[in-house]
Amino acid sequence: MNVMPQSGKAGQLERELAYYRRECNMLGARLLSLQEEQSQAFREARRSRTVAKLIREAYRLIDHSTSPEALGGPMLAILLDNTMCDRAALLREDRPGSGHFTVTHALGLGGELPAPVSLPATPGFFFTTSRSRIEPPAYELTAILRLPYILWAYDATSGLALILGNQSESNVSRPFEEADQEIVEGALSVYIDILLRKRAEVEMREARRMAEEASSTRSRFLATLTHELRTPLNAIIGFSEMMATGSTFNPTPEQIGQYNTHILTSANHLLALINEILDYSSLARGRTSLSLRWARLEDMVQESLGAATAFAAERGISLGSQLGEEPLWLKVDRTRFRQILDNLLSNAIRFTPAGGKVRVEVAPEAEGIRLCVRDTGIGMLAEDIPRALEPFQQLDNKFSRSSPGTGLGLPIARGLVRAHGGELTIESARDAGTCVWISLPEEALHRGAAPPSAKP
Amino acid sequence: MIEVTYSRHSDPRIAARLCADALRARQPDLLLVFCGGKLDPETVMVVLKESLSDVPVVGGASAGGITRQGIGYSGLELVVIAFSGWVTPRILIEEMAPDEVTAGERLGRRVADLASEDAAVLLLYDSVASRPPLRLHPASQIVSGFHAGLSDRQVRLFGGGLLTDMNLSDGWVLDGDRVRHHLAVALVFPPEIEVVCEILHGCRPVSTFMEITRIDGADVYELDGEPALVVIERMLGLQLGESQGQELSLLATLGQKQGDPFAPYDENAYVNRLILRASPSNGSVTLFEPDFFTGAQVQIMARDNSLMLESVRHGVASLREAVREDDNQLALYIDCAGRASARSGAFREEAEMVVKGLDLPVPFAGFYSGVEIAPFQGYSRPLDWTGVLAILRRRPR
Repeated sequence: MNVMPQSGKAGQLERELAYYRRECNMLGARLLSLQEEQSQAFREARRSRTVAKLIREAYRLIDHSTSPEALGGPMLAILLDNTMCDRAALLREDRPGSGHFTVTHALGLGGELPAPVSLPATPGFFFTTSRSRIEPPAYELTAILRLPYILWAYDATSGLALILGNQSESNVSRPFEEADQEIVEGALSVYIDILLRKRAEVEMREARRMAEEASSTRSRFLATLTHELRTPLNAIIGFSEMMATGSTFNPTPEQIGQYNTHILTSANHLLALINEILDYSSLARGRTSLSLRWARLEDMVQESLGAATAFAAERGISLGSQLGEEPLWLKVDRTRFRQILDNLLSNAIRFTPAGGKVRVEVAPEAEGIRLCVRDTGIGMLAEDIPRALEPFQQLDNKFSRSSPGTGLGLPIARGLVRAHGGELTIESARDAGTCVWISLPEEALHRGAAPPSAKP
Repeated sequence: MIEVTYSRHSDPRIAARLCADALRARQPDLLLVFCGGKLDPETVMVVLKESLSDVPVVGGASAGGITRQGIGYSGLELVVIAFSGWVTPRILIEEMAPDEVTAGERLGRRVADLASEDAAVLLLYDSVASRPPLRLHPASQIVSGFHAGLSDRQVRLFGGGLLTDMNLSDGWVLDGDRVRHHLAVALVFPPEIEVVCEILHGCRPVSTFMEITRIDGADVYELDGEPALVVIERMLGLQLGESQGQELSLLATLGQKQGDPFAPYDENAYVNRLILRASPSNGSVTLFEPDFFTGAQVQIMARDNSLMLESVRHGVASLREAVREDDNQLALYIDCAGRASARSGAFREEAEMVVKGLDLPVPFAGFYSGVEIAPFQGYSRPLDWTGVLAILRRRPR
C-alpha cells in the first residue's frame, strides 16, 4: 500500500477537490444549457403554433361579434395573448395608396386611440430592432404605439394595417426578425378575412330582412288593394242588382236616383284608385316620363290652392301661402307638380281639425329650393312617419276614418318628387302639425321675373 | 365572506362590469383587485365603484390573473376579491419616499400599532420604480424597513410586487380611490385570521459555491475575483456582449443557500435573485434585489421547469393536507410572472396545476407578480422565481 505523506495527501485532496469543482461546474453548465435549449425549443414551438391558434380563435369571433367594427378589439386581444406583445393597433388607410392612416382599434394604450399617421412610403412589412435607424418609416411607425420595437404589416388591397409593439427588445419575446413576417401578415390576413366575412354576413342579413320586408309589404299591398277595389265594386254591383230587370227589389224612382249617385261615386272612386295604382306602379318601376318646363312657382301654388278651396271651406280650414317677393321658376312637369301639391294639400286638409290652417311656404336654399306644405293638424309620432310614406298605410285616427283617401297620395307624391331629382321628407309631432318638405335641386330653380331663355 | 370573480375583456368597462355583476355581495366592504396591465385602471376602478356602492378598491397592476374561472397573462385579465364582514382587512398605505427602507419602516410601525400578534399582513407595491434604465423598487429594502418598524411585534408578512406585464414595463397601485405609483399597501387581517404559506420553487444550483468579491447595491461586479458577467457567460457558454443582457433573467439566477452550506440539497434553503440586466462595459450583472453582500457565498442557479412542476405538485399537496380540515377563507397565489409557460418554456402552466391541485372548497385568486414575499425561516423575505401559495383561514382556537 502506498502511504502518502500528510502534505502529499492534502495536495491530492486539493487536486481532487479542484477536479470535482471543475466537473461540477461543467456538468452544471451543460445542465443549464440543456435546460435553456429545452425552454427555447418549447418557446419556439409555442410561437410556431401561434398562427394556427390565432386562426382558430379569430374565426370564432365571427359568431360572437355583432358588427364588423366590433371585431377589431377582440382580434387585438387574441393577438396580444398569442404573441405576448405589449401593444397592438389596427389601422385603416383613408384613401387607397394615400399613406394616411387612421387607427381604428388599439390595445395596451389605456383606452386612447393614437392620432392619425402619415407615411411617406407604406411598407408591406416592417420591423425595428435595437440596430434600426430612427428614420422614415421607423420614425412614424414607432410613434404609433409609442414603443421602440414594432412589427408592421399592410395590405394595399384592403388598405388595412396591423402593428404590434414591445417595450423591450427581448425578454419574453426574442427581437423581431424577418421570420415574424409570417405571424404579422398571417394575423392581418385573418383579420381581413373575418372582417369581410362578417360584412358579407351582415349584408346578407340586411338583404334578407329587406327581402322579407318587401315580401311582407307586397302581401300587405295586395290585401289592401283587394279590399280597396272590392268596396266600391260591391257598391256598384249591389246597387246595379237592385235595379236590374227581374230584381225582386222594386226601387222607387227616388231610390233609383240615389242608387245611381252611389254607383257613380263608387265608379269614380274606383277609377281614381286605379289611376293612382297605375301611377304608383309606374313610379315604382321608374317608368314615369316627365315633360320638364319652366313654370312659375306662384302660379302653380295658386292653382292648387284654388282647387283645394272648396274642400278646405267645407272642413273649416283656412288656406294660405308665403312664397316671398322674388319670382321663382321651377323646371318641372307642370301637371305632375300640380299633382304633388294637390296630394299634399288634400292630405293636410284631411288631417287638420276645423279652424286649423294649411299653408304653402317656400324656403330658398343656398343650393336648390325647399317647399313646405304645413298644417296645424293632428300630426303623427316620429316612428309613424316611415309608415305614412308606404302605400295603403294610412295611420289610424278619427280623420282617416271619417275621410278616407286611397292611401297612395303620399307615396305617389314622394315618387314624383324623386322623379324630379328631389326628395320628400316629413317633419311632424303628435298634436303639433305636420310639415311635408319638397326639396328640388339647384338646376330645377331659377330666380327672376322671366324664365330662362334657354330651351328646356 | 370572501368572493372571487374573474373576467377577461379588452374593454375595461365590460371587464369590470362582468366582475361586479358576478359578485353576490352588492355592498362589499373592500375590493382587492388585480388588474391586467393592458386594462385602463381608472376606468376599471370607476365602474367597480359605481356598481358596488363606492366600495374602496385596493390592489394594482398584474401581469396576469389566476382563478378557477380562468388563467391568463394577456394583460386583459381582471381578478376581483370582495371582502364583506369580519374577514375584511384594514388598509395602510405609505408612499415610497424618501426611499424604500423609510417607507417600509413607517409601514411597519403603523402595522405594529394596528395588528394583533402573528397577524396575517399582505404587502403589495408597484415593482417598477423607473425606466429607462429599468430600476425596481427593491422589496428587500421595503421588507427590512418593515421589520425594523415592527420592532418586537411578530406578524406573518406575505405579498408581492405589482407589474403590468412580463416585460417589466410598469406597475401601479390602487389605493382605495385612485391609481398611484411608488406606493406600498398593507392589508392587515383581523386577529381571527391566520395565514399559512407554501413557497413553490423551481431552481437548482448548477455551480459550486462562489464568493461575491465586489458588489454595490444590486450590481454584482465580481465572483471569485473575476468579472461576474465573464463567469456567468462561461457557465452559459454564450457571449452576452452584443445583446442588452436582459434575457439573462430567462436563463439563470444567483442563489444563496441558507443554513449549512453543505447540507443536502433542499429547495427551501435557497433565496434566489433574478438577473435584471448585464453590463458588458464593466462586466457586472444587476440583480432584482440589492440584498446580497461582499463575502456572500452564492451559486449560479438554473431554472428547472421539471423541478418547478415537481415543486408545485409537492407544495400544493403538502399545503392541501395541512389545511384540509380548517375553516379556510381564501387561497391567494402570488406567482412570479417568469414561471408562466410563455416565458419559462415549461410544457405545462404551473398555475393551472396549483389551481387544480388545491381542490378545497375555498375561493381562489392569484396574480402574476414581480417579486414574491413570504415568511422564510422565521423572517419574511422577498423571493424570486417562486410561487407563494397562501391560505387565509380562521385561526384555530
